Amino acid sequence: MQGPRIISVEANSASFFSRNEFLIRRLHSLTGLVPVGAYMCIHLITNASTLGGAPMFQKNVDLIHSLGPALPIVEWSFIFLPLIFHAVVGVAIIRSGNPNLSSYHYVGNVRYVLQRATAWIALAFIAWHVFHMHGWFHNEWWLENVANEDLGGHRFDPKHAASTAALALEAPIRKLAYFIGVVSCVFHFANGLWTMGITWGVWTTAAAQKRANWICGAVGIVMTVVGLSALVGVAKTDVVAAQAYEDTKLQMKQEEEQRVAAENKRLSSLTAEERLAERKAREANH
Amino acid sequence: MIQSTSHDSSAHDTHHAPPAQFTVRVLRQDVPGGSSYWERHTVKRENDMNVISVLQRIAANAETADGEKTTPVAWDCNCLEEVCGACTMVVNGKVRQACSALVDKLLVDNPEEIELRPMTKFPVVRDLMVSRARLFRALQKVKAWIPVDGYYDMGSGPRVSAESQEQAYPLSQCMSCGCCLEACPQYTKIELKQEEGETAEAFQARQKEAYDRGFVGAHAISQVMLFNKHPTGAMNAGERLDALTAEGGIQACGNAQNCVAVCPKEIPLTTSIGRAGRATTVHVIKKFFDR
Ligand code: HEM
Ligand code: SF4
Ligand code: SF4
Ligand code: FES
Repeated sequence: MQGPRIISVEANSASFFSRNEFLIRRLHSLTGLVPVGAYMCIHLITNASTLGGAPMFQKNVDLIHSLGPALPIVEWSFIFLPLIFHAVVGVAIIRSGNPNLSSYHYVGNVRYVLQRATAWIALAFIAWHVFHMHGWFHNEWWLENVANEDLGGHRFDPKHAASTAALALEAPIRKLAYFIGVVSCVFHFANGLWTMGITWGVWTTAAAQKRANWICGAVGIVMTVVGLSALVGVAKTDVVAAQAYEDTKLQMKQEEEQRVAAENKRLSSLTAEERLAERKAREANH
Repeated sequence: MIQSTSHDSSAHDTHHAPPAQFTVRVLRQDVPGGSSYWERHTVKRENDMNVISVLQRIAANAETADGEKTTPVAWDCNCLEEVCGACTMVVNGKVRQACSALVDKLLVDNPEEIELRPMTKFPVVRDLMVSRARLFRALQKVKAWIPVDGYYDMGSGPRVSAESQEQAYPLSQCMSCGCCLEACPQYTKIELKQEEGETAEAFQARQKEAYDRGFVGAHAISQVMLFNKHPTGAMNAGERLDALTAEGGIQACGNAQNCVAVCPKEIPLTTSIGRAGRATTVHVIKKFFDR
Protein backbone atom coordinates (compact mmCIF):
# COMPACT_ATOMS: atom_id res chain seq x y z
CA MET A 1 0.00 0.00 0.00
CA GLN A 2 1.42 3.38 -0.95
CA GLY A 3 0.24 6.68 0.42
CA PRO A 4 0.15 9.75 -1.76
CA ARG A 5 3.60 11.08 -2.59
CA ILE A 6 4.51 14.40 -1.17
CA ILE A 7 7.20 16.73 -2.48
CA SER A 8 10.10 14.73 -3.80
CA VAL A 9 13.71 15.22 -2.87
CA GLU A 10 15.12 17.00 -5.86
CA ALA A 11 18.17 15.56 -7.48
CA ASN A 12 20.87 18.15 -7.75
CA SER A 13 24.12 18.20 -9.60
CA ALA A 14 26.29 17.51 -6.58
CA SER A 15 29.82 16.15 -6.45
CA PHE A 16 30.60 12.44 -6.25
CA PHE A 17 31.38 12.77 -2.56
CA SER A 18 28.13 14.49 -1.68
CA ARG A 19 26.00 12.18 -3.83
CA ASN A 20 27.49 9.15 -2.08
CA GLU A 21 27.92 10.68 1.35
CA PHE A 22 25.88 7.99 3.10
CA LEU A 23 27.73 5.10 1.46
CA ILE A 24 31.14 6.68 2.06
CA ARG A 25 30.38 7.35 5.71
CA ARG A 26 29.16 3.80 6.22
CA LEU A 27 32.29 2.43 4.53
CA HIS A 28 34.41 4.68 6.72
CA SER A 29 32.68 3.30 9.77
CA LEU A 30 33.02 -0.29 8.55
CA THR A 31 36.71 -0.01 7.65
CA GLY A 32 37.33 1.29 11.18
CA LEU A 33 36.28 -2.14 12.48
CA VAL A 34 37.24 -4.43 9.61
CA PRO A 35 39.86 -4.62 8.40
CA VAL A 36 41.65 -1.78 10.20
CA GLY A 37 40.45 -2.36 13.77
CA ALA A 38 40.58 -6.15 13.52
CA TYR A 39 44.07 -5.94 12.07
CA MET A 40 45.19 -3.63 14.87
CA CYS A 41 44.03 -6.15 17.49
CA ILE A 42 45.82 -9.05 15.78
CA HIS A 43 48.91 -6.90 15.39
CA LEU A 44 48.95 -5.92 19.07
CA ILE A 45 48.41 -9.53 20.16
CA THR A 46 51.27 -10.72 17.92
CA ASN A 47 53.53 -8.04 19.35
CA ALA A 48 52.59 -8.97 22.90
CA SER A 49 54.14 -12.36 22.21
CA THR A 50 57.55 -10.70 22.62
CA LEU A 51 56.76 -11.27 26.30
CA GLY A 52 57.07 -14.99 25.58
CA GLY A 53 60.67 -14.57 24.45
CA ALA A 54 62.51 -14.34 21.14
CA PRO A 55 61.59 -17.87 19.90
CA MET A 56 57.87 -17.36 20.39
CA PHE A 57 57.86 -13.96 18.70
CA GLN A 58 59.98 -15.27 15.83
CA LYS A 59 57.56 -18.17 15.30
CA ASN A 60 54.60 -15.77 15.05
CA VAL A 61 56.43 -13.46 12.69
CA ASP A 62 57.50 -16.40 10.53
CA LEU A 63 53.87 -17.47 10.33
CA ILE A 64 52.90 -14.05 8.93
CA HIS A 65 55.87 -13.99 6.58
CA SER A 66 55.12 -17.50 5.32
CA LEU A 67 52.82 -15.68 2.90
CA GLY A 68 56.02 -14.85 1.05
CA PRO A 69 55.54 -12.84 -2.13
CA ALA A 70 51.79 -12.62 -1.40
CA LEU A 71 52.48 -10.59 1.75
CA PRO A 72 52.72 -7.15 0.09
CA ILE A 73 49.47 -7.80 -1.79
CA VAL A 74 47.73 -8.75 1.46
CA GLU A 75 49.31 -5.79 3.27
CA TRP A 76 48.22 -3.28 0.67
CA SER A 77 44.72 -4.58 0.03
CA PHE A 78 43.72 -5.45 3.59
CA ILE A 79 45.70 -2.99 5.67
CA PHE A 80 47.25 0.01 3.93
CA LEU A 81 44.53 0.91 1.41
CA PRO A 82 41.60 0.53 3.85
CA LEU A 83 43.57 2.51 6.43
CA ILE A 84 44.35 5.26 3.91
CA PHE A 85 40.67 5.35 2.93
CA HIS A 86 39.62 5.56 6.59
CA ALA A 87 42.18 8.27 7.25
CA VAL A 88 41.35 10.41 4.19
CA VAL A 89 37.61 10.28 4.85
CA GLY A 90 38.33 10.73 8.56
CA VAL A 91 40.18 13.99 7.91
CA ALA A 92 37.25 15.18 5.79
CA ILE A 93 34.87 14.29 8.63
CA ILE A 94 36.98 16.14 11.19
CA ARG A 95 36.96 19.21 8.98
CA SER A 96 33.17 19.02 8.60
CA GLY A 97 32.62 19.52 12.33
CA ASN A 98 32.96 22.46 14.64
CA PRO A 99 33.85 21.33 18.19
CA ASN A 100 32.21 23.31 21.00
CA LEU A 101 33.67 21.69 24.09
CA SER A 102 34.25 25.05 25.76
CA SER A 103 30.49 25.68 25.91
CA TYR A 104 29.19 22.15 26.44
CA HIS A 105 31.24 19.99 28.81
CA TYR A 106 29.27 16.78 28.40
CA VAL A 107 31.01 13.40 28.50
CA GLY A 108 29.77 12.60 25.01
CA ASN A 109 31.21 15.86 23.73
CA VAL A 110 34.57 15.16 25.39
CA ARG A 111 34.62 11.78 23.68
CA TYR A 112 33.69 13.38 20.35
CA VAL A 113 36.70 15.66 20.66
CA LEU A 114 38.97 12.85 21.89
CA GLN A 115 37.90 10.68 18.95
CA ARG A 116 39.16 13.41 16.64
CA ALA A 117 42.30 14.20 18.65
CA THR A 118 43.28 10.52 18.75
CA ALA A 119 42.58 10.33 15.02
CA TRP A 120 45.27 12.96 14.40
CA ILE A 121 47.66 11.20 16.77
CA ALA A 122 46.91 7.86 15.10
CA LEU A 123 47.53 9.38 11.68
CA ALA A 124 50.90 10.81 12.67
CA PHE A 125 51.89 7.78 14.71
CA ILE A 126 50.94 5.16 12.13
CA ALA A 127 52.67 7.06 9.33
CA TRP A 128 55.87 7.27 11.36
CA HIS A 129 55.55 3.77 12.82
CA VAL A 130 55.14 2.10 9.42
CA PHE A 131 58.14 4.06 8.13
CA HIS A 132 60.17 3.30 11.26
CA MET A 133 59.60 -0.45 11.22
CA HIS A 134 58.55 -1.34 7.71
CA GLY A 135 59.92 1.46 5.53
CA TRP A 136 56.64 2.00 3.59
CA PHE A 137 57.94 0.49 0.34
CA HIS A 138 60.30 -2.40 -0.18
CA ASN A 139 61.95 -1.35 -3.40
CA GLU A 140 65.71 -1.30 -3.49
CA TRP A 141 66.28 2.35 -4.36
CA TRP A 142 63.82 3.49 -1.69
CA LEU A 143 65.36 1.30 1.03
CA GLU A 144 68.84 2.53 0.19
CA ASN A 145 68.12 6.25 -0.14
CA VAL A 146 65.07 7.00 2.00
CA ALA A 147 64.07 4.28 4.43
CA ASN A 148 67.66 3.82 5.62
CA GLU A 149 69.45 3.87 8.93
CA ASP A 150 70.20 7.60 8.80
CA LEU A 151 66.52 8.49 8.55
CA GLY A 152 65.50 5.73 10.96
CA GLY A 153 63.34 3.79 8.53
CA HIS A 154 62.84 0.07 7.90
CA ARG A 155 64.34 -0.90 11.26
CA PHE A 156 62.49 -4.21 11.57
CA ASP A 157 63.91 -7.35 10.04
CA PRO A 158 61.39 -10.20 10.07
CA LYS A 159 64.25 -12.72 10.17
CA HIS A 160 65.56 -11.13 13.37
CA ALA A 161 62.19 -10.20 14.81
CA ALA A 162 62.81 -9.80 18.53
CA SER A 163 66.32 -8.33 18.34
CA THR A 164 65.55 -5.70 15.68
CA ALA A 165 62.26 -4.73 17.39
CA ALA A 166 64.08 -4.33 20.70
CA LEU A 167 66.87 -2.30 19.08
CA ALA A 168 64.39 -0.07 17.24
CA LEU A 169 62.65 0.72 20.52
CA GLU A 170 65.76 1.01 22.65
CA ALA A 171 65.62 4.80 23.02
CA PRO A 172 63.24 5.89 25.82
CA ILE A 173 61.83 8.65 23.58
CA ARG A 174 60.74 5.99 21.07
CA LYS A 175 59.14 3.93 23.83
CA LEU A 176 57.27 7.06 24.91
CA ALA A 177 56.12 7.72 21.34
CA TYR A 178 54.89 4.14 21.05
CA PHE A 179 53.13 4.40 24.40
CA ILE A 180 51.22 7.50 23.28
CA GLY A 181 50.55 6.03 19.85
CA VAL A 182 49.24 2.71 21.11
CA VAL A 183 47.05 4.23 23.82
CA SER A 184 45.60 6.73 21.31
CA CYS A 185 44.90 4.09 18.67
CA VAL A 186 43.26 1.80 21.20
CA PHE A 187 41.10 4.62 22.59
CA HIS A 188 40.12 5.59 19.05
CA PHE A 189 39.23 1.99 18.29
CA ALA A 190 37.27 1.29 21.48
CA ASN A 191 35.38 4.59 21.42
CA GLY A 192 34.83 4.10 17.69
CA LEU A 193 33.35 0.70 18.39
CA TRP A 194 30.81 2.35 20.64
CA THR A 195 29.85 5.12 18.20
CA MET A 196 29.74 2.53 15.46
CA GLY A 197 27.05 0.64 17.36
CA ILE A 198 24.92 3.80 17.29
CA THR A 199 25.79 4.58 13.67
CA TRP A 200 24.60 1.14 12.54
CA GLY A 201 21.77 0.99 15.07
CA VAL A 202 23.06 -1.96 17.10
CA TRP A 203 22.51 -0.22 20.45
CA THR A 204 19.72 2.33 20.33
CA THR A 205 18.22 3.06 23.75
CA ALA A 206 20.11 5.00 26.40
CA ALA A 207 20.25 1.88 28.60
CA ALA A 208 21.60 -0.25 25.77
CA GLN A 209 24.18 2.40 24.94
CA LYS A 210 25.28 2.40 28.56
CA ARG A 211 25.68 -1.38 28.57
CA ALA A 212 27.57 -1.26 25.28
CA ASN A 213 29.79 1.37 26.81
CA TRP A 214 30.94 -1.14 29.43
CA ILE A 215 31.70 -3.70 26.76
CA CYS A 216 33.62 -1.26 24.57
CA GLY A 217 35.42 0.05 27.64
CA ALA A 218 36.46 -3.50 28.53
CA VAL A 219 37.69 -4.07 24.96
CA GLY A 220 39.68 -0.85 25.28
CA ILE A 221 41.26 -1.79 28.60
CA VAL A 222 42.15 -5.31 27.46
CA MET A 223 43.68 -4.02 24.21
CA THR A 224 45.61 -1.33 26.10
CA VAL A 225 47.12 -3.97 28.37
CA VAL A 226 47.88 -6.21 25.38
CA GLY A 227 49.35 -3.33 23.40
CA LEU A 228 51.53 -2.06 26.22
CA SER A 229 52.73 -5.53 27.16
CA ALA A 230 54.56 -5.57 23.82
CA LEU A 231 56.54 -2.56 25.05
CA VAL A 232 57.39 -4.46 28.23
CA GLY A 233 58.29 -7.45 26.04
CA VAL A 234 60.82 -5.53 23.93
CA ALA A 235 62.20 -3.79 27.02
CA LYS A 236 62.89 -7.19 28.58
CA THR A 237 64.42 -8.62 25.41
CA ASP A 238 68.15 -9.35 25.65
CA VAL A 239 69.22 -8.17 22.21
CA VAL A 240 72.47 -10.18 22.06
CA ALA A 241 70.85 -13.43 23.17
CA ALA A 242 67.88 -12.90 20.87
CA GLN A 243 70.17 -12.25 17.94
CA ALA A 244 72.21 -15.33 18.72
CA TYR A 245 69.04 -17.41 18.77
CA GLU A 246 67.78 -15.88 15.51
CA ASP A 247 71.14 -16.41 13.78
CA THR A 248 71.32 -20.04 14.90
CA LYS A 249 67.79 -20.59 13.74
CA LEU A 250 68.49 -18.95 10.39
CA GLN A 251 71.64 -21.03 9.97
CA MET A 252 69.80 -24.23 10.80
CA LYS A 253 67.11 -23.28 8.33
CA GLN A 254 69.72 -22.61 5.65
CA GLU A 255 71.48 -25.90 6.34
CA GLU A 256 68.17 -27.72 6.18
CA GLU A 257 67.39 -26.05 2.88
CA GLN A 258 70.80 -26.98 1.50
CA ARG A 259 70.35 -30.58 2.65
CA VAL A 260 66.95 -30.84 1.00
CA ALA A 261 68.31 -29.30 -2.19
CA ALA A 262 71.23 -31.72 -2.29
CA GLU A 263 68.93 -34.67 -1.69
CA ASN A 264 66.57 -33.54 -4.44
CA LYS A 265 69.49 -33.18 -6.78
CA ARG A 266 70.74 -36.68 -5.95
CA LEU A 267 67.26 -38.19 -6.40
CA SER A 268 66.80 -36.53 -9.76
CA SER A 269 70.07 -38.05 -10.99
CA LEU A 270 68.91 -41.61 -10.21
CA THR A 271 67.10 -43.83 -12.70
CA ALA A 272 63.56 -44.99 -11.99
CA GLU A 273 64.77 -48.53 -11.03
CA GLU A 274 67.33 -47.16 -8.59
CA ARG A 275 64.72 -44.97 -6.94
CA LEU A 276 62.33 -47.92 -6.63
CA ALA A 277 65.09 -50.04 -5.07
CA GLU A 278 65.89 -47.29 -2.61
CA ARG A 279 62.29 -46.96 -1.55
CA LYS A 280 61.98 -50.75 -1.04
CA ALA A 281 65.12 -50.75 1.07
CA ARG A 282 63.71 -47.91 3.19
CA GLU A 283 60.40 -49.72 3.72
CA ALA A 284 62.22 -52.92 4.69
CA ASN A 285 64.17 -50.93 7.22
CA HIS A 286 61.00 -49.74 9.00
CA MET B 1 25.51 26.14 59.17
CA ILE B 2 24.29 24.08 56.30
CA GLN B 3 21.16 25.31 54.65
CA SER B 4 19.02 23.26 52.36
CA THR B 5 18.17 24.82 49.04
CA SER B 6 14.96 26.73 49.35
CA HIS B 7 12.50 27.82 46.71
CA ASP B 8 12.13 31.12 48.47
CA SER B 9 13.82 33.64 46.22
CA SER B 10 14.51 35.97 49.15
CA ALA B 11 16.72 33.39 50.84
CA HIS B 12 18.45 34.55 54.02
CA ASP B 13 21.75 32.89 53.21
CA THR B 14 24.08 35.83 52.70
CA HIS B 15 26.11 33.92 50.10
CA HIS B 16 23.09 33.61 47.87
CA ALA B 17 21.36 36.86 48.61
CA PRO B 18 20.22 38.17 45.24
CA PRO B 19 21.69 41.53 44.23
CA ALA B 20 19.49 44.59 43.92
CA GLN B 21 20.48 45.02 40.33
CA PHE B 22 22.55 43.22 37.75
CA THR B 23 24.16 43.77 34.35
CA VAL B 24 22.92 42.18 31.17
CA ARG B 25 25.42 41.84 28.38
CA VAL B 26 23.64 41.50 25.05
CA LEU B 27 25.26 40.63 21.75
CA ARG B 28 23.45 42.89 19.33
CA GLN B 29 23.27 43.03 15.57
CA ASP B 30 21.39 45.67 13.62
CA VAL B 31 20.88 43.99 10.26
CA PRO B 32 21.10 40.47 8.80
CA GLY B 33 24.69 39.74 7.86
CA GLY B 34 25.89 42.83 9.72
CA SER B 35 28.54 42.93 12.38
CA SER B 36 27.67 42.32 16.00
CA TYR B 37 28.60 44.28 19.11
CA TRP B 38 28.18 43.91 22.86
CA GLU B 39 25.94 46.26 24.80
CA ARG B 40 25.54 46.42 28.56
CA HIS B 41 22.31 47.16 30.37
CA THR B 42 21.57 47.54 34.04
CA VAL B 43 18.37 45.95 35.26
CA LYS B 44 16.79 46.20 38.71
CA ARG B 45 16.05 42.78 40.14
CA GLU B 46 12.41 41.93 40.83
CA ASN B 47 10.94 38.72 42.17
CA ASP B 48 10.21 35.89 39.71
CA MET B 49 11.92 37.48 36.73
CA ASN B 50 12.76 35.44 33.68
CA VAL B 51 14.96 36.50 30.76
CA ILE B 52 11.90 37.66 28.81
CA SER B 53 10.89 40.05 31.58
CA VAL B 54 14.49 41.25 31.69
CA LEU B 55 14.27 42.01 27.98
CA GLN B 56 10.98 43.84 28.55
CA ARG B 57 12.65 46.06 31.17
CA ILE B 58 15.55 46.70 28.77
CA ALA B 59 13.11 47.67 26.01
CA ALA B 60 11.19 49.97 28.37
CA ASN B 61 14.38 51.62 29.52
CA ALA B 62 16.08 51.82 26.09
CA GLU B 63 19.26 53.07 27.74
CA THR B 64 22.60 51.37 28.08
CA ALA B 65 24.41 50.85 31.39
CA ASP B 66 26.39 54.00 30.60
CA GLY B 67 23.19 56.00 30.27
CA GLU B 68 23.29 56.32 26.50
CA LYS B 69 20.07 56.17 24.52
CA THR B 70 19.72 53.03 22.47
CA THR B 71 17.20 51.11 20.43
CA PRO B 72 15.25 48.39 22.23
CA VAL B 73 16.83 44.95 21.98
CA ALA B 74 14.79 42.77 19.61
CA TRP B 75 13.82 39.23 20.62
CA ASP B 76 11.21 36.65 19.77
CA CYS B 77 8.75 34.91 22.04
CA ASN B 78 5.27 33.54 22.02
CA CYS B 79 3.97 30.96 24.47
CA LEU B 80 6.03 32.00 27.53
CA GLU B 81 5.76 28.46 28.85
CA GLU B 82 8.47 26.57 26.97
CA VAL B 83 6.28 24.96 24.36
CA CYS B 84 6.78 27.10 21.24
CA GLY B 85 10.56 27.37 21.03
CA ALA B 86 10.49 30.91 19.64
CA CYS B 87 12.51 32.48 22.46
CA THR B 88 15.51 30.15 22.16
CA MET B 89 18.83 31.95 22.67
CA VAL B 90 22.23 31.44 24.27
CA VAL B 91 21.99 32.39 27.93
CA ASN B 92 25.28 32.43 29.85
CA GLY B 93 26.86 30.32 27.14
CA LYS B 94 24.17 27.64 27.06
CA VAL B 95 21.36 27.39 24.57
CA ARG B 96 17.91 27.44 26.20
CA GLN B 97 14.53 29.12 26.23
CA ALA B 98 14.55 32.68 27.55
CA CYS B 99 11.06 32.27 29.00
CA SER B 100 12.07 29.42 31.29
CA ALA B 101 15.45 30.92 32.21
CA LEU B 102 14.77 32.23 35.69
CA VAL B 103 16.84 35.20 36.70
CA ASP B 104 17.37 34.24 40.35
CA LYS B 105 18.78 30.90 39.28
CA LEU B 106 21.08 32.56 36.76
CA LEU B 107 22.28 34.99 39.43
CA VAL B 108 23.25 32.10 41.69
CA ASP B 109 25.86 31.11 39.07
CA ASN B 110 26.99 34.67 38.48
CA PRO B 111 25.48 37.39 40.73
CA GLU B 112 26.82 40.24 38.61
CA GLU B 113 25.92 39.53 35.07
CA ILE B 114 23.72 37.69 32.63
CA GLU B 115 24.99 37.21 29.11
CA LEU B 116 22.56 36.96 26.19
CA ARG B 117 23.53 35.96 22.67
CA PRO B 118 21.53 34.90 19.65
CA MET B 119 21.92 31.28 18.58
CA THR B 120 25.12 30.88 16.60
CA LYS B 121 23.97 28.32 14.05
CA PHE B 122 21.19 30.39 12.47
CA PRO B 123 21.28 33.66 10.55
CA VAL B 124 20.56 36.60 12.83
CA VAL B 125 17.56 38.70 11.81
CA ARG B 126 18.18 41.29 14.47
CA ASP B 127 19.73 41.20 17.95
CA LEU B 128 18.45 38.02 19.61
CA MET B 129 16.08 37.09 16.79
CA VAL B 130 17.26 34.42 14.39
CA SER B 131 15.77 32.76 11.34
CA ARG B 132 15.17 29.08 11.99
CA ALA B 133 14.13 28.55 8.36
CA ARG B 134 16.68 25.78 7.92
CA LEU B 135 15.21 23.89 10.84
CA PHE B 136 11.77 23.98 9.25
CA ARG B 137 13.16 23.20 5.80
CA ALA B 138 14.70 20.04 7.30
CA LEU B 139 11.24 18.98 8.52
CA GLN B 140 9.99 19.51 4.97
CA LYS B 141 12.89 17.58 3.52
CA VAL B 142 12.17 14.52 5.66
CA LYS B 143 8.38 14.88 5.28
CA ALA B 144 7.72 15.20 8.97
CA TRP B 145 3.96 14.80 8.69
CA ILE B 146 1.36 12.21 7.77
CA PRO B 147 -0.36 12.93 4.45
CA VAL B 148 -4.07 12.33 4.96
CA ASP B 149 -5.43 15.13 2.79
CA GLY B 150 -6.82 14.24 -0.60
CA TYR B 151 -9.88 14.15 -2.80
CA TYR B 152 -10.92 10.73 -1.57
CA ASP B 153 -11.86 9.33 1.78
CA MET B 154 -9.00 7.27 3.15
CA GLY B 155 -11.18 5.74 5.84
CA SER B 156 -10.36 5.57 9.49
CA GLY B 157 -6.76 5.01 10.46
CA PRO B 158 -5.42 1.78 11.88
CA ARG B 159 -5.24 1.31 15.63
CA VAL B 160 -2.01 2.21 17.37
CA SER B 161 -0.85 -0.02 20.19
CA ALA B 162 -0.34 1.49 23.62
CA GLU B 163 3.32 0.50 23.48
CA SER B 164 3.81 2.27 20.20
CA GLN B 165 2.06 5.35 21.56
CA GLU B 166 4.36 5.36 24.54
CA GLN B 167 7.36 5.35 22.24
CA ALA B 168 5.91 8.05 20.01
CA TYR B 169 4.68 10.48 22.64
CA PRO B 170 8.06 11.77 23.82
CA LEU B 171 9.12 12.33 20.21
CA SER B 172 5.93 14.26 19.48
CA GLN B 173 6.87 16.86 22.10
CA CYS B 174 9.48 18.49 19.88
CA MET B 175 8.81 22.24 19.68
CA SER B 176 11.33 22.96 16.89
CA CYS B 177 13.31 25.20 19.18
CA GLY B 178 16.71 24.42 17.68
CA CYS B 179 18.62 23.75 20.92
CA CYS B 180 19.74 20.35 19.62
CA LEU B 181 21.11 22.01 16.49
CA GLU B 182 22.80 24.86 18.31
CA ALA B 183 24.71 22.42 20.55
CA CYS B 184 25.58 19.96 17.77
CA PRO B 185 29.22 20.13 16.62
CA GLN B 186 28.26 18.63 13.27
CA TYR B 187 25.57 21.25 12.58
CA THR B 188 27.43 24.22 11.17
CA LYS B 189 25.99 27.59 10.31
CA ILE B 190 24.69 28.22 6.78
CA GLU B 191 24.04 31.87 5.99
CA LEU B 192 23.67 33.11 2.45
CA LYS B 193 23.53 36.68 1.28
CA GLN B 194 21.07 37.88 -1.31
CA GLU B 195 23.11 39.01 -4.30
CA GLU B 196 22.64 42.36 -5.94
CA GLY B 197 19.86 41.97 -8.51
CA GLU B 198 18.88 38.51 -7.29
CA THR B 199 15.12 38.07 -7.01
CA ALA B 200 13.64 36.90 -3.72
CA GLU B 201 12.55 33.65 -5.42
CA ALA B 202 16.00 32.96 -6.78
CA PHE B 203 17.53 33.71 -3.40
CA GLN B 204 15.11 31.40 -1.63
CA ALA B 205 15.75 28.60 -4.10
CA ARG B 206 19.48 28.98 -3.57
CA GLN B 207 18.98 29.00 0.17
CA LYS B 208 16.79 25.92 0.06
CA GLU B 209 19.44 24.02 -1.87
CA ALA B 210 22.16 25.07 0.55
CA TYR B 211 20.01 24.05 3.51
CA ASP B 212 19.24 20.69 1.89
CA ARG B 213 22.93 19.98 1.49
CA GLY B 214 23.70 20.75 5.12
CA PHE B 215 23.09 18.38 8.01
CA VAL B 216 19.36 17.87 8.68
CA GLY B 217 19.91 17.73 12.43
CA ALA B 218 18.76 15.61 15.33
CA HIS B 219 15.23 17.05 15.51
CA ALA B 220 14.46 15.99 11.94
CA ILE B 221 15.96 12.52 12.41
CA SER B 222 13.79 12.07 15.46
CA GLN B 223 10.68 13.22 13.58
CA VAL B 224 11.37 10.61 10.91
CA MET B 225 11.33 7.96 13.61
CA LEU B 226 8.07 9.42 14.98
CA PHE B 227 6.22 9.39 11.67
CA ASN B 228 7.68 6.12 10.42
CA LYS B 229 6.49 4.48 13.63
CA HIS B 230 2.89 5.54 12.98
CA PRO B 231 0.95 2.95 10.95
CA THR B 232 -0.34 5.55 8.49
CA GLY B 233 2.89 7.49 8.47
CA ALA B 234 4.73 4.26 7.70
CA MET B 235 3.28 4.37 4.18
CA ASN B 236 5.86 7.03 3.37
CA ALA B 237 8.62 5.47 5.47
CA GLY B 238 10.82 4.82 2.45
CA GLU B 239 10.64 8.41 1.26
CA ARG B 240 11.66 9.69 4.68
CA LEU B 241 14.57 7.26 4.84
CA ASP B 242 15.59 8.35 1.33
CA ALA B 243 15.77 11.90 2.68
CA LEU B 244 17.83 10.72 5.65
CA THR B 245 20.35 9.00 3.39
CA ALA B 246 20.60 11.91 0.95
CA GLU B 247 23.34 14.49 1.30
CA GLY B 248 23.32 16.04 4.77
CA GLY B 249 21.43 13.05 6.11
CA ILE B 250 21.94 11.00 9.24
CA GLN B 251 25.48 10.08 8.17
CA ALA B 252 26.67 13.58 9.11
CA CYS B 253 26.02 12.86 12.80
CA GLY B 254 29.24 12.38 14.77
CA ASN B 255 27.65 10.89 17.90
CA ALA B 256 28.69 13.68 20.24
CA GLN B 257 25.27 13.37 21.93
CA ASN B 258 25.08 17.04 22.84
CA CYS B 259 21.63 17.17 21.26
CA VAL B 260 20.07 14.83 23.79
CA ALA B 261 21.84 16.62 26.64
CA VAL B 262 20.42 20.05 25.78
CA CYS B 263 16.93 19.16 24.51
CA PRO B 264 14.55 20.99 26.87
CA LYS B 265 11.84 18.42 26.13
CA GLU B 266 14.20 15.56 27.06
CA ILE B 267 13.46 13.81 23.79
CA PRO B 268 15.53 10.62 23.47
CA LEU B 269 17.25 11.98 20.36
CA THR B 270 20.19 9.58 20.42
CA THR B 271 17.81 6.62 20.60
CA SER B 272 16.09 8.04 17.53
CA ILE B 273 19.49 8.45 15.88
CA GLY B 274 20.37 4.82 16.65
CA ARG B 275 17.00 3.59 15.37
CA ALA B 276 17.33 5.73 12.26
CA GLY B 277 20.87 4.38 11.77
CA ARG B 278 19.46 0.86 11.76
CA ALA B 279 16.47 1.74 9.56
CA THR B 280 18.57 3.56 6.96
CA THR B 281 21.10 0.72 6.78
CA VAL B 282 18.36 -1.85 6.16
CA HIS B 283 16.61 0.51 3.74
CA VAL B 284 19.72 1.12 1.65
CA ILE B 285 20.63 -2.58 1.47
CA LYS B 286 17.06 -3.52 0.54
CA LYS B 287 16.95 -0.84 -2.12
CA PHE B 288 20.23 -2.07 -3.59
CA PHE B 289 19.05 -5.67 -3.90
CA ASP B 290 15.49 -4.81 -4.96
CA ARG B 291 16.70 -2.73 -7.86
C1 HEM C 1 44.59 2.41 14.24
C2 HEM C 1 43.94 2.93 13.31
C3 HEM C 1 42.48 3.25 13.35
C4 HEM C 1 41.46 2.46 13.81
C5 HEM C 1 41.54 1.08 14.39
C6 HEM C 1 40.23 3.21 13.63
C7 HEM C 1 38.98 2.75 13.98
C8 HEM C 1 37.83 3.51 13.96
C9 HEM C 1 36.52 3.06 14.30
C10 HEM C 1 36.11 1.66 14.73
C11 HEM C 1 35.67 4.12 14.18
C12 HEM C 1 34.18 4.14 14.46
C13 HEM C 1 33.35 4.38 13.25
C14 HEM C 1 31.96 4.91 13.56
O1 HEM C 1 31.76 5.64 14.53
O2 HEM C 1 31.05 4.61 12.81
C15 HEM C 1 36.45 5.23 13.78
C16 HEM C 1 35.96 6.50 13.61
C17 HEM C 1 36.69 7.55 13.18
N1 HEM C 1 37.99 7.51 12.72
FE1 HEM C 1 39.26 5.99 12.88
N2 HEM C 1 40.53 4.42 13.09
C18 HEM C 1 41.90 4.48 12.91
C19 HEM C 1 42.63 5.51 12.38
C20 HEM C 1 42.10 6.72 12.03
C21 HEM C 1 42.82 7.78 11.41
C22 HEM C 1 44.29 7.75 11.02
C23 HEM C 1 41.92 8.81 11.22
C24 HEM C 1 42.10 10.15 10.59
C25 HEM C 1 43.03 10.97 10.80
C26 HEM C 1 40.65 8.39 11.75
C27 HEM C 1 39.52 9.18 11.81
C28 HEM C 1 38.32 8.80 12.33
C29 HEM C 1 37.20 9.67 12.58
C30 HEM C 1 37.12 11.15 12.30
C31 HEM C 1 36.18 8.89 13.13
C32 HEM C 1 34.81 9.37 13.58
C33 HEM C 1 33.78 9.06 12.56
C34 HEM C 1 32.41 9.44 13.00
O3 HEM C 1 32.23 9.88 14.13
O4 HEM C 1 31.49 9.29 12.21
N3 HEM C 1 40.78 7.12 12.22
N4 HEM C 1 37.76 4.84 13.63
S1 SF4 D 1 24.64 12.97 18.40
FE1 SF4 D 1 24.73 13.67 16.28
S2 SF4 D 1 23.03 15.07 16.08
FE2 SF4 D 1 23.39 14.82 18.27
S3 SF4 D 1 24.75 16.48 18.81
FE3 SF4 D 1 26.00 14.73 18.31
S4 SF4 D 1 26.54 14.96 16.18
FE4 SF4 D 1 24.81 16.30 16.59
S1 SF4 E 1 14.41 17.89 19.55
FE1 SF4 E 1 14.40 19.03 21.47
S2 SF4 E 1 16.04 20.51 21.25
FE2 SF4 E 1 15.60 19.75 19.22
S3 SF4 E 1 14.17 21.16 18.33
FE3 SF4 E 1 12.96 19.54 19.27
S4 SF4 E 1 12.53 20.24 21.35
FE4 SF4 E 1 14.17 21.51 20.55
S1 FES F 1 8.21 31.77 24.43
FE1 FES F 1 7.63 29.78 23.77
S2 FES F 1 9.29 28.62 24.45
FE2 FES F 1 9.78 30.54 25.27
